[in-house]
Amino acid sequence: MADKEASIFIVDVSRSMGKKHNGREKTDLDWAMTYVWDKITTAMAGGRKTLHFGVVGLRTDGTDNPLSDDEGYANISVFQSPKQCLMPDIRALHEKIKPSNVNQGDPISALVLATYMMGEHTRKLKYIRRIYLITNGCGPMDTDEIAEIAGKINEDNIELLILGVDFDDPEFGFKEENKDKVKAENEAILRSLAENCNGVFATMADVISNINIPATRDVRPVPSFKGDLTLGDVENYESAMSIDVERYPRVRVARPLIASEFVRRSNVGPTEDSAQSSHTLGRDGDDAHLANPSHGLVSAKNNPTYTVEDSQAPSGKREVERSELDKGYEYGSTVCHVSEYEMNLFKFENRKGLEIVGFVDRNKYKRFFHMSETNMIVASRINEKAKLALSSFIHALHELETYAVARLVVKDGNNPVIVLLAPEIEDENECLVDVELPFAEDLRDYKFPPLDRIITISGKKLVEHRYLPSDDLMNAMSDYVDSMDISTFAKDEEGNPCEYAALDDIYSPIVHRVQKTLQFRAVNTTEEIPPPASILTKYSQPPEGLIQQAQPYLQKVLAAANVKKVSPKQKGRKRARSVDKPLSGLDVGALLAQPSNKRTKISAENAIPEFKQLLATTEDITTIKDAAQQLAGIAADYIRHSLGDSGYGRAIEALRVLREEMTELEEPGVWNGILIDLKEKIVKGKLGGDRKEMWWRIRANRLGLVDKRVSEFSGVSEEEAKAFLTARLP
Amino acid sequence: MAEPSDRNRLDEDEGSDEEEEVDDSGYKTVKDAVLFAIDISDSMLRKPPPSDSKKADRDSPASAALKCAYQLMQQRIISNPSDMMGVLLFGTRKTKFHDEHESSKVAYPHCYLLTDLDVPSASDVKRLRNLVEDEEESQELLVPSDEPVSMASVLFCANQIFATKAPNFSSRRLFLVTDNDDPHGGDKAARSSATVRAKDLYDLGVVIELFPISRQEHRFDREKFYDDIVYSTSISDLDAPAPLVPDNQELKSGDGISLLQSLLSSINSKATPRRAVFSLPFEIGPGLRISVKGYILLKRQQPRRTCYVDVSGEKPKLVQGKSAKIADDTGREVDKAEIVKAFKFGGETISFTKEDLAAIRNFGDPIIRIIGFKPLSYLPFWANTRSATFIYPSETDYIGSNRVFSALQQKLQRDQIMGLAWFIARRNATPVIAAIIPSEEELGERGEQIMPGGLWVVPLPFADDKRKNPETTVVRTTDDLTDKMRVVIEQLQLPKGVYDPKKYPNPSLQWFYKVLQAYALEEELPPEDTKSATDKTVPRYRQIDKRAGAHIISWGESLEEEHSGQRGTKRGSDGPDLKLAKRTKTSAPDAPIDEEMRRNFEKGSINKLTVAALKAWAEKKHLDTSGKKADLVDRIEDYFEHK
Repeated sequence: MADKEASIFIVDVSRSMGKKHNGREKTDLDWAMTYVWDKITTAMAGGRKTLHFGVVGLRTDGTDNPLSDDEGYANISVFQSPKQCLMPDIRALHEKIKPSNVNQGDPISALVLATYMMGEHTRKLKYIRRIYLITNGCGPMDTDEIAEIAGKINEDNIELLILGVDFDDPEFGFKEENKDKVKAENEAILRSLAENCNGVFATMADVISNINIPATRDVRPVPSFKGDLTLGDVENYESAMSIDVERYPRVRVARPLIASEFVRRSNVGPTEDSAQSSHTLGRDGDDAHLANPSHGLVSAKNNPTYTVEDSQAPSGKREVERSELDKGYEYGSTVCHVSEYEMNLFKFENRKGLEIVGFVDRNKYKRFFHMSETNMIVASRINEKAKLALSSFIHALHELETYAVARLVVKDGNNPVIVLLAPEIEDENECLVDVELPFAEDLRDYKFPPLDRIITISGKKLVEHRYLPSDDLMNAMSDYVDSMDISTFAKDEEGNPCEYAALDDIYSPIVHRVQKTLQFRAVNTTEEIPPPASILTKYSQPPEGLIQQAQPYLQKVLAAANVKKVSPKQKGRKRARSVDKPLSGLDVGALLAQPSNKRTKISAENAIPEFKQLLATTEDITTIKDAAQQLAGIAADYIRHSLGDSGYGRAIEALRVLREEMTELEEPGVWNGILIDLKEKIVKGKLGGDRKEMWWRIRANRLGLVDKRVSEFSGVSEEEAKAFLTARLP
Repeated sequence: MAEPSDRNRLDEDEGSDEEEEVDDSGYKTVKDAVLFAIDISDSMLRKPPPSDSKKADRDSPASAALKCAYQLMQQRIISNPSDMMGVLLFGTRKTKFHDEHESSKVAYPHCYLLTDLDVPSASDVKRLRNLVEDEEESQELLVPSDEPVSMASVLFCANQIFATKAPNFSSRRLFLVTDNDDPHGGDKAARSSATVRAKDLYDLGVVIELFPISRQEHRFDREKFYDDIVYSTSISDLDAPAPLVPDNQELKSGDGISLLQSLLSSINSKATPRRAVFSLPFEIGPGLRISVKGYILLKRQQPRRTCYVDVSGEKPKLVQGKSAKIADDTGREVDKAEIVKAFKFGGETISFTKEDLAAIRNFGDPIIRIIGFKPLSYLPFWANTRSATFIYPSETDYIGSNRVFSALQQKLQRDQIMGLAWFIARRNATPVIAAIIPSEEELGERGEQIMPGGLWVVPLPFADDKRKNPETTVVRTTDDLTDKMRVVIEQLQLPKGVYDPKKYPNPSLQWFYKVLQAYALEEELPPEDTKSATDKTVPRYRQIDKRAGAHIISWGESLEEEHSGQRGTKRGSDGPDLKLAKRTKTSAPDAPIDEEMRRNFEKGSINKLTVAALKAWAEKKHLDTSGKKADLVDRIEDYFEHK
């Protein structure tokens, strides 16, 4: 379990902190508070109960602290005693932390107070203790007790962090021009105080610039397997090897915080147009958000209902109670009932274990066989002999450039998986890393034409083809790839070249984006959400400097590749008018044009082919419209004569073809007219009863109106097309 | 296309489930329907001459085809449970269409619909099996008609089956098995009407896959008839099944492969239609974009999930689950539009508008964008989060994609380089950083493709995803010990030094479906002892012993020596000694040994041990094992203090 922590912020709220300096848009106080809020809300996001924060206001108008009997403690107020911060505390602090009208109040006294508060709160318990002093260093300071307080801070094992607005910091590279003399003196005193306490002394800009560097969360290692790594059959063979090991996660994808679903409490808030009210939530200065903690939300829960097909029931379905149901499995379309007891028969009982199946060559391994997150395996932590044994195994694998294939059953009764074990040897650590491998059933046997040659249908092999790169393109690509090498593009702390985009430097954009946005919203209820921190999108583009270097090579690739974007219009345009031919090249079009095969009237049985063939043989708009109307009529008949939903699939298919063809022929209006007509029939119940389900399917299959975005020949706007989808008539 | 009720799946909490896996489920449900059409004629029914050779054919072509259909049906129930399949015999004396087709005015003489096109049921499987295994049944049904069957009517029959039973399926395929390369000879009218019906099928979007069978005395000649019937699927249309077993390759027995085997392998390669999981721009450099499609070639197959069944009626019925949202306070049903998403934060909730939520999750348009290249050796073994996705170029959005992709793939393959890419798989999918690694095309013995050449997108873990190693100490091996282990490892290489997944069927999955099939077909359950017999993942103990046994024993002896030696020099050997086990088992007894515990006591580090270890030890000493860890530690420390 992580250690308990207590932090006390001493925040200078003097009148001078309410001013803006050095071209910043925010007041010194607001600016400095971004850091404090970030600290507090980061802890809140983690939801830990053992991270406590206290806040002390320095240079407040009034005085409110337990040591105020002593006049040295004037203009110091305790805003919050150390405790876990929750949303109401944030709001309370917001109210209190505002620039005062005074500039007096002694930072050193505030430190004494904070140390006192820390002692009261943490006593002798195990705590990580921190005191932050945040000030612009402008006011008067009483340095009499400074040595004692330094001693006290050291004695109590408190980390002191002095963060100053516009303090000079050569290391960070900041120097304030025309610095006030008092401030300069104060800075020097505070700096030596920090040094005496082994604390931190930094300028505000420095710490604020680090806010956006995400902190990764440590998760306590929990073993997913404890057992024996065996080679051979331990029960039946004298020669079998067995090593006592433990397996821990190496990679587990961190998930962002998840939103839960709520609805507005029925007795509060607007009820009429709740969709719109949700727009205003949290924006537009929704003060209710601040003042009313639960803001009228109540959680939305799932309420599953169960139905079973029943030809007797009027709707064809009968509702059943969960408690009356048994479990089973589907085998194709057959449903098998399996009793609770019988369920066990389906299980493939196995004893837990990690058994080596054999060894494979590292250099022949296909990296894309990696199927899962990875784990690491170490020898049992209390077994020295196992450690020695595993070490010899790891080193032997390493020297031989070999991986082990093993059969893993994590727990008694679990299903076996095949894992690959790779040796990992680092300075302090040795372990095996494991990853799951595919079984026979996990491979999908898809075939793809080779990339480096073309084989024609007649079996001829081509090496020159528009699908194959020319030598020019090959060379240009090779040079470009080499010029874009980032394995030494970054600089380390000493300025030596090192790996750019190393795995340890890349943070999960979604995890931190969600968390930072929440933190932002917790303290800023009205402002627009800021864009993601640049560190989260840093690796979304190649590094600028590198691209510039690589530009000449890229130009050569572009020239040799001659890639052309297919415009959306081209894509939609009716393909070359020739009728597709079978392998023999026979002119089926001519065959179809023969009077005996000629189609003018579309039959319901063979509607789609006949429709397509009719269109293929005509350019005449009247014929096209007529064909479209015929198909539409057939689709309507499918619906009309449908028993339940039995004919809907065919109707959808006909409509889909109709829509596609009309779009390609640049006649979206024909389709739109047909659909408007059809919708009316459906909604008015003219197609053999309630056919709302059919309309639902039209929506689900995205067979709405063709709008201007899809076809420039359409007179329907995007909004109109969207509005049209509701099952209501205008 | 999204059907309103995807069979039996509970309408899972869509919104809150924000998993963003690259998975075919979310992208598009592409369904496949296969109609198996088998020619029944005298020559198709003729059995090969008896032979002593073990490998010789025993099956007539028709029976081989039926066996294939039978196997394919079982296989698809497992791998593609929502896909459809049907079996049509043509040229039979009997005629049969849909059982109860209301508009049966069109008859298809000598077409016998054995099992209708649908998600197969247990009875369909039985039906097919009986025909394969039961002589009597097959003799009754598999009788060729006296007059020739019209191919036009066969094709139109298939047309009607597809049009009515599998409307709107994006993949519809007719598998045609025949040995007759010229069904209509000189009958021009019959030929041309067959050609027209074939065009109808093509326009309906049905692909004809021909499985031509050659006989010893007669080579199947496609040019005679079938080249007018079959259409090529163009190479750029990657969603169509690729004709990779070259289309002009005929099937025959010989070369030690039976007709059944060659038919099986040919059909297997087409068993699943290729389905793209995404179609994305691939940006190799600023201004250099091509289009690629992603395919899932590796995916863990899971046993079916249980479903709810209603057993009140005669037969168990599938129960459909539907989930509505209700407000927790009043229990009233709420509309989707009313739902507000909010995060728990600081003891309260923070809510966002739908637009804000979408904006927060939005990191730009879907893309695979290369941001640089590194040697493949920079990809650590541990850096993996899930299975990789295969990508292959497509000309749909950018003309020239193939050649550019090919140039890149060949360069990466030749120089063993990987690309590093910013990868957003779908609209609103969360971005990941992925390694783009090349794979070389791999061909089998007969020139068939085993692994396609292309690129793989390997999603990498973020800094947030990497866990720290547990705290432990290392005991380093010695050269002698390592050398002895090397010998062991060298003895036990898998064939060719590679892991071939095809050799390792998933034992629990196999067992599950064996039992399920027995249930569905109302047969006897497979005996328990067949469980392990068919498990190919169990190590071959006897071989391990034979090949490496002596070396392991030698290693074990060195280990004992080394271990006692290290203890001797480092810590003295005052503690109770580990017994020299005959087997080189290093497992500590379940509990830590006394010496270990004493050492921890002296170092004050008993609390570093696990609760399980503490409990086990305490139990051994007959101490109370109840309470929290701190209590256990106290008790054990007590034990040593008072000893």
